[in-house]
Amino acid sequence: MKIVVLVKYVPEPTATWSFADDHTLDRQNVEGRLSELDEYAVEQALRIAETVPGAHVRYLTMGPARAADGLRKALAMGGDDAVHVLDDALHGADAVATSLVLATALRQAGFDLVLCGMASTDAEMSVVPAMVADRLGVPAVTLAAELSTDGSAVTARRDTDVATEELTAPLPALLSITDRSGDVRLPSFRNIVAAKKKPVVTWSLADLGIAPERIGAATVVRAVRPRPAREAGTVITDEGDAAVQLADFLAANKLL
Amino acid sequence: MAVRVILGLLLTVVASGLAGRRLLMLYRLGRAGQPAEPGRTRGVAARVRAELTEVLGQRKLLKWTVPGTAHLLTFWGFLILGLTLIEGYGALVDRDFHLPWIGTQPWLGFLEDLFAVAVLLAVLVFAAIRLRHLPAREGTRSRFFGSHLGGAWLILFMIFNVVWTLLLYRGAQINTGNFPYADGAFASEVVARVLAPLGTTANDVIETAGLLLALGVVLTFLVIVVHSKHLHIFTAAPNVAFSRRPRALGALQPVRSGGKLVDFDDPGEDDVIGRGAIEDFTWKGMLDFASCTECGRCQSQCPAWNTGKPLSPKLLIMSLRDHALAKAPYLLAGDDHAGVDALAAAEAQRPLVAEGGVITPDVLWSCTTCGACVEQCPVDIEHVDHIVDMRRYQVVMEASFPREAAVLLRNLEHAGDPWGRGAANRLDWTAKLDFPVRVLGDGEALPDDAEYLFWVGCAGAFDERAVRTSQAVAELLHTAGVGYAVLGSGETCTGDPARRLGNELLFQELARQNVATLTAAGVRKIVTTCAHCFNSLANEYPQLGGTFEVVHHTQLLSRLLAEGRLTPVTPVQATVTYHDPCYLGRHNRIFAPPRDILGSVAGVRLTEPDRTRERSFCCGAGGARMWLEEPLGTRINEARTDELLATGADVVAAACPYCIDMLADGVAQRAAEGVTVTDVAGVLLRSVRAIPDDPEGATR
Ligand code: SF4
Ligand code: SF4
Repeated sequence: MKIVVLVKYVPEPTATWSFADDHTLDRQNVEGRLSELDEYAVEQALRIAETVPGAHVRYLTMGPARAADGLRKALAMGGDDAVHVLDDALHGADAVATSLVLATALRQAGFDLVLCGMASTDAEMSVVPAMVADRLGVPAVTLAAELSTDGSAVTARRDTDVATEELTAPLPALLSITDRSGDVRLPSFRNIVAAKKKPVVTWSLADLGIAPERIGAATVVRAVRPRPAREAGTVITDEGDAAVQLADFLAANKLL
Repeated sequence: MAVRVILGLLLTVVASGLAGRRLLMLYRLGRAGQPAEPGRTRGVAARVRAELTEVLGQRKLLKWTVPGTAHLLTFWGFLILGLTLIEGYGALVDRDFHLPWIGTQPWLGFLEDLFAVAVLLAVLVFAAIRLRHLPAREGTRSRFFGSHLGGAWLILFMIFNVVWTLLLYRGAQINTGNFPYADGAFASEVVARVLAPLGTTANDVIETAGLLLALGVVLTFLVIVVHSKHLHIFTAAPNVAFSRRPRALGALQPVRSGGKLVDFDDPGEDDVIGRGAIEDFTWKGMLDFASCTECGRCQSQCPAWNTGKPLSPKLLIMSLRDHALAKAPYLLAGDDHAGVDALAAAEAQRPLVAEGGVITPDVLWSCTTCGACVEQCPVDIEHVDHIVDMRRYQVVMEASFPREAAVLLRNLEHAGDPWGRGAANRLDWTAKLDFPVRVLGDGEALPDDAEYLFWVGCAGAFDERAVRTSQAVAELLHTAGVGYAVLGSGETCTGDPARRLGNELLFQELARQNVATLTAAGVRKIVTTCAHCFNSLANEYPQLGGTFEVVHHTQLLSRLLAEGRLTPVTPVQATVTYHDPCYLGRHNRIFAPPRDILGSVAGVRLTEPDRTRERSFCCGAGGARMWLEEPLGTRINEARTDELLATGADVVAAACPYCIDMLADGVAQRAAEGVTVTDVAGVLLRSVRAIPDDPEGATR
């Protein structure tokens, strides 16, 4: 079984982010990491691979040169090889373009099961998984908290606000995984050493046969400003009328 | 005569054969270990001094007066009575034998008899101590809990036999006229008087029989010793000679695999990080295990054991030794394990750390690396190094560690601090100060008028209580006119919790980054408020090429007081007790400066808890335990808080952010009204400020 995990190299959430002249994030000057949410997908892929003989785990990412660090991190956790889609023309690509690139790369690489995190920790849009599945014409199960496969189908538990559902999809299929799926492993030393030798191939847009004009963004960022400092909240001291004050406050803010 | 010689030699040959076979096996077992770190023979003067004070002078044993004295007498008794053994062998051949030159002088006869009696008395004391502290009665509080009890009694009985058989044949010798000493051997003379009425023939027989008996007892004793924990008779002296000097505390050893330093940039594929099997330990480790006397001194001070955790440093060392011995036939069989007996083969299958393994995970993770065991151990066993080495294997090779630690590790890896707050917030603590704190920008060098780099530390930047200490120290330095700067967002965790948890990879990453930052900034002198940062910066960063002059804030402040650059003016009316942080006190021997500071403040009445200085009891936070839950037994911080509250103090002072957190939690738990917990600097600041500050300030 060919398992491909879509991973993203994101700016460190605790770092100070800065923006380049074109209003895109200055990725050169901010530390990055493998998106924490993608680690759950990596973990699930590795767990499946441990139970399915002959399974092959590949990582696929699209991003700047430093994104290769994210692939190495995933490879250190386990898995066999990785594909890095790297092309200057990808700079500033939005979700639509990203899904196009990833879907094309997936088709080229071949897959039975695609796993990815429920969202990236930078943009947090959660739309790329569904878009990729749509482009590939395979079933998508998003926000899976538990999954298993018998080799021909995949079964997942999905927690929603109102119910827990269990879904089964025939392979090939795509699943996005939540952080409730189980603890993520720490790479062991042997795996870290071994990961340095695992193959990582780089594909350009030309390799994928995608014309650079098809990449871009449907929206334009006009300005980027730092968020204003948080203002002190209102403190209500109870002099017998706290409940009324509170209710008035909520009503004034259309929360009641 | 011929009978004496033949029997005597026969006994000797058999016993030497039995003992020799065992010793050879032990030697080969030691050789099955890894090469030891270099430096084990460096600093000969210190090693000789250790032999003189710790072995001949029994310094560490004498910390416990009664058993220490009894042991001193036994130890010296064995040395002196060694002379009687030579005399005994001589008498086998020549009934009239005496030691050349000095052999007939009365003082020697007196000395021998004196120590014979002393050893006898010591045996009685040892027996009494064993009866008083019977594990059957005292349970886990007994220092002998889990020790090999039968073996210990057998040894005492054998020592007793050595002495009485010795006195028996010496008494008979006097009566047959073959005794070397005309005078002085008072105890032998008493025995002689008892035996005299039996007549010459009988005394003749008793002399020969007694001599052979005495030799037989000594030789049997030898065979028993090399098969028991009393092996320490032979291993203690070399173990002390090869142990880490000045002590196995402070820095942890760098990681070696197969005796070679591991290059973390380009590690070898077969490199083993830490110890995952008994043969991963070095021969010095094996010698440590063979040297344990099961005395229980380590365990008596261990915060984990004393609060009902399964970790006893004694039992840990004993388990490793017992396992090494049980696995020995397998290890020594070479590559062909077909002929190895089933028990040894089964032992070889037992994992080193696992449920049902030699050491259970609960034992391994209970250690706070406080070093109390190392401090106590009379034969200088290096418990902390062994424990961390086993943790290193578990974390780095097996990725196996307590689940709660994952958050700590993730925060350290991604945010550079245990709280996960990130570099961007590292200067928040300066916001409320009414004087400027100089911050080094990226790549900026420390200006000439800044003498010190103030290493704030993660706690100092993010922990609410420690922030107050950072602010107090900043203000005190500012008041004293000491030039300093901080790194701000350029600082990351020193890596202490990661390293002590066993995550050497993460430690290397963090530490190397810090060494690079500090070196690039041209830093030479560092001041820090955290005992753990202090230890890493001063003792461990040199391993990575970062050598700085590091002072703890209490050292700097006490110097500023002595130089008159700080003047306490406002009396602080309080009874203050000082808690020695393990990593400042025991690990780094900084005991006086914090006390000097407290002593300089008018009104302060200083009171010491029962366990203080070298014997201080851990707050429970070291060894990354600050970030782990404490589900087993009772809580260490509460036990320590009780000891501190028992002094009647209304201010508990410490000099490490972890201690302050743990003790403040303990005081809150005990609902001790009116007791505040503060850093020593907080007390000083109250006094240095001319105006008495707000009542809240009591906690600063
Ligand atoms: S270092 Fe401290 S906690 Fe660890 S075994 Fe020794 S005494 Fe116990
Ligand atoms: S390790 Fe040292 S202190 Fe502990 S029981 Fe053994 S000899 Fe005694």
